Amino acid sequence: MATRARTDEKTLGSEKLREALVGYGFILLPLASFFVFSIYPLIYALYISYFDWGALGKIDNVGFGNYREIFDDFLFRKALKNTLLYTAVVVPCQMALGLSMAVIVNQALRARTFFRAAFYFPSLASSAAITAIALYLLSSDGLLNSIIGSVRGETYAHSWFGESSTALQSIMGLNIWTTSGTMMLFYLASLQSISTDVYEAAAIDGAGSWRTFWKITFPLLKPGHFFVAVISVIGSLQIFDQAFFVSGGGGGPNYSTMTIVLYLYNTAINEVRFGYASAVGIVLFVIIFTLTLGQRLLFGRAESA
Amino acid sequence: MRKRLALPVVLGVVVVFAAVLAAGSQGKTDVASSSHATAASGSVTLSGWSVGKTEEELLNQVVSAFERKFPKIDVKYDSIPNYDQAMLAKFSARKPPDVFYLNSEKAPTWISQGLIAPLNSYVSKSKFPTKPFYPRLLGAFKAKGNTYGFPKDWSPLAMEVNLDLLAKVGAKPPKTWAQLRSVAQKLKSVMTGTARPICLATEWQRMLAFVYQNKGSVLTKGRPTFTSPAVRQAVEYYVGLQRDGLGNSPAKLGAGWCGEAIGKEKAAIAFEGNWAYPYLPETFPGLKWRFYPMPKGKVPGTLAFTVAYSTSPASKNKAAAWELIKYLTGPAGMKLWTSKGLALPARSDVKVNFPAPSRKPLLSEAGYAHVWIWPNGWDKVWTVGNNELGAVFEGKQSIPDMLSKIQSEAQSAR
Amino acid sequence: MTTGDSESRLPPVPPVVAAEQLALEGETAAGTPPPPSLPGRERADTVRRILAYVGLILISILFFVPFLWSISTSLKSLPETAGFNFLPAHPSFRAYDSAITSFNFKRYFANSVFLATVVTMTNLFLSSLGGYAFARLRFPGRELLFMLVLGTLMIPNELRLVPIFQMLTDSPVFHLHLIGTYQGYFLINLVGATTLFLMRQYFLTIPKDYEEAAKLDGAGYFKTYRRVMLPLAGPALAAVTILTFQGTWNDFFWPLIIFLGDESKYTLPLGLFQFRTQYQTLWPQLMAASVIAIVPIALIYVFFQRYFIAGVTAAGVKG
Repeated sequence: MATRARTDEKTLGSEKLREALVGYGFILLPLASFFVFSIYPLIYALYISYFDWGALGKIDNVGFGNYREIFDDFLFRKALKNTLLYTAVVVPCQMALGLSMAVIVNQALRARTFFRAAFYFPSLASSAAITAIALYLLSSDGLLNSIIGSVRGETYAHSWFGESSTALQSIMGLNIWTTSGTMMLFYLASLQSISTDVYEAAAIDGAGSWRTFWKITFPLLKPGHFFVAVISVIGSLQIFDQAFFVSGGGGGPNYSTMTIVLYLYNTAINEVRFGYASAVGIVLFVIIFTLTLGQRLLFGRAESA
Repeated sequence: MRKRLALPVVLGVVVVFAAVLAAGSQGKTDVASSSHATAASGSVTLSGWSVGKTEEELLNQVVSAFERKFPKIDVKYDSIPNYDQAMLAKFSARKPPDVFYLNSEKAPTWISQGLIAPLNSYVSKSKFPTKPFYPRLLGAFKAKGNTYGFPKDWSPLAMEVNLDLLAKVGAKPPKTWAQLRSVAQKLKSVMTGTARPICLATEWQRMLAFVYQNKGSVLTKGRPTFTSPAVRQAVEYYVGLQRDGLGNSPAKLGAGWCGEAIGKEKAAIAFEGNWAYPYLPETFPGLKWRFYPMPKGKVPGTLAFTVAYSTSPASKNKAAAWELIKYLTGPAGMKLWTSKGLALPARSDVKVNFPAPSRKPLLSEAGYAHVWIWPNGWDKVWTVGNNELGAVFEGKQSIPDMLSKIQSEAQSAR
Repeated sequence: MTTGDSESRLPPVPPVVAAEQLALEGETAAGTPPPPSLPGRERADTVRRILAYVGLILISILFFVPFLWSISTSLKSLPETAGFNFLPAHPSFRAYDSAITSFNFKRYFANSVFLATVVTMTNLFLSSLGGYAFARLRFPGRELLFMLVLGTLMIPNELRLVPIFQMLTDSPVFHLHLIGTYQGYFLINLVGATTLFLMRQYFLTIPKDYEEAAKLDGAGYFKTYRRVMLPLAGPALAAVTILTFQGTWNDFFWPLIIFLGDESKYTLPLGLFQFRTQYQTLWPQLMAASVIAIVPIALIYVFFQRYFIAGVTAAGVKG
């Protein structure tokens, strides 16, 4: 009896070892890829952010000089302000719109497949194509102005991307429109993980659908809120393509489309200041990290992974 | 769908890894082949950006003329889109082309980082005469007594005028600031919708011409002088045109840039350069327009942009590279290069017979053109400058405040 | 770090059969039927229903109009674009002609297809393999490593700009020169944290009985993965396929960094950007180029959307 147990243990042990080795083997390539192309770059960026670093490498050791310069630089402050404003507007709108659309297409509707596909459709197109279309629709002689003009009965020629009062807002609107579909999908997944029993109980209690939604569905979606909020915040803080496309890289008019990443890109590529650009990137990483952590606290320990 | 997916996936991964490995073995730095030839022979790579097919063909002609003259040197030319960034990659990899375009705008940054080789020793060794180059153009590529490149061609800003629209109101192309205003006043009646008489770019890369016309300067003896009265007056004149409804920015007119505004007849007058060719005639064939010299303020003045041929310290065939630079910017090469009238010669000893009189006004500005060239770190100054100018156009910023903002940015530029 | 118990902490998941079925039927999972209506409410319900449909149709129009408008513009002449007519007066493909002849959009198209296909394949393989290991195989440090993988999502793409740029121009140790090569692009996009996460979550939803049966047959881990798990993961693989394909197809940033110097390697978004710098506000041409960039991915979506949505919803957000 005792001998048998020991052999079992032994085969069990070697079996465990085998499983572990196979496990490491399976994750080897993905993990290597994350180490080499994500984690190593992070460390490297941190390293060179302490130097004046040019196209040919190290020029000078500046210590915290790059970081000090960032906080003295009003262009960076403009970029930070724009990026935070953008995030503060876009994230709640994306979440609200995504959730509403998810709730709608989760109903027993006719042709809900069609609606679901329709809502997701703008998420498909590339930022370059969608921005090109937006540039046209929102140009001073574009469709939107034609509509406004025909409503008002006089020509309306506001250049939406050309004026600082509306340039960033137009990008916000554009991105809320294009990415809400993705958020809808994530919410849809979350909605479907809620057990039907809960609703049945609510129905027996005589709760209306509005009340059911706010009292039951909404709180139960906590993990979904967390996931969507994190994805949305990370994406919003990295806004680049549209700002680059719209302003041609200059962040204009009147700094309104200058974002952190556009600023980073300009310092790296135009000014060839790799060290400084990396310091900007590290600051952005710290912001993202802090906000993600904050969201985690906000949504409680919504079980992640 | 199971089997249909799995097999291609595995195959695909195998293919990718094979490809990556193959690339790796090819890509290893080839130190052995770096020959330090003393006599000019071997192959050189030549890179620039392309403005159009006609220009590219012309450059190929010039290159073959060179190869006939120097049969031992083999030139490989390729044009690079997104040039500045692409070159940065090549510099970082220490594999720049042997001869390449150097934009005056990029010159300070690239020179200060040691990416461009000084040519002084070659010049003195081969007794290359530098006198014939327009001094203002050559000056753009000099730093601390070294010459880093020789200009291949250049373009000043000039005035694009839509002749039909001017004829409609019976106006002649303006020659002075006062005439520009009065012509614009007349044009107001024929410009409908978003269109305005003048296209005014919200860029210092255009407006600065007016500063020079007012005898102003934003950099005097190495010090920024944005807040000087001459600068302020010029800006007031330029912005005043917009304030009085005589002009507007291209975005407000419904165009991407002023050349396009002319093409779409959103404006009758604009200030652009040689790059209007071949764009305008090709894209808007029916348009009747001409170049005229910039209007004169206190003095005639304009802004110029130039590009040089340079080489890098990392070049492995410097002797041949120098032969190529010498030929391309020498009298024979430049004569050929500018013969079709696509580019303006950077040497006063190269005379061009333009097939059409259209570009003569540009060349006539050579004597008073100021080259767009700034100290290292001024990239950001102009980013700030253009954003501030945009704010001024929107009425959200006053001109003096804008100028002092740019002034302080320029003072702290590094 | 005890392993194994993390699975039990996860909320109940829809059974895999439902996910497969919904993929086939193109309908959402059996999760949430609407609250059963009480007697006497039917009329109000009908009215609400009609209102809901009207609202939905309006929203859908809002979502489609810009695309339809850009297609119609691409068939117009420039002066006509300032007008308000939806249908072009004299539809012509001239704008497409000039897009294809002045820029090599055929080439960009081929490049986009090639890049998206290869990246999709490596992602399918590596994310399913890794996802299987993270979901099912027990090894020390598993949770920690998985958190690390997820953590990389927080590293901004752009922070990686300079390091990856330098790494690709002249990599440490191997001295590869991969900037401007397809291989460089493939390498940095071998597998994404999102797709790995998605696969792992999906594998967690598959009951263990299947593997145990395979184990009894004496199948090894790779065989189990290949013969048992992969076939069961159809919807998730479809989701990974579309997400990755779409992501690569639309990627602007990395092609901008990697291929910028070589027009022959341009992808559609890069081509579109070049195009925009030249054509500025020549709307018909710009819209034609945009349509060229959007239509293929839209077609793929139309054909695969049922699998796609099923995959994302079944594996997507369990927290």
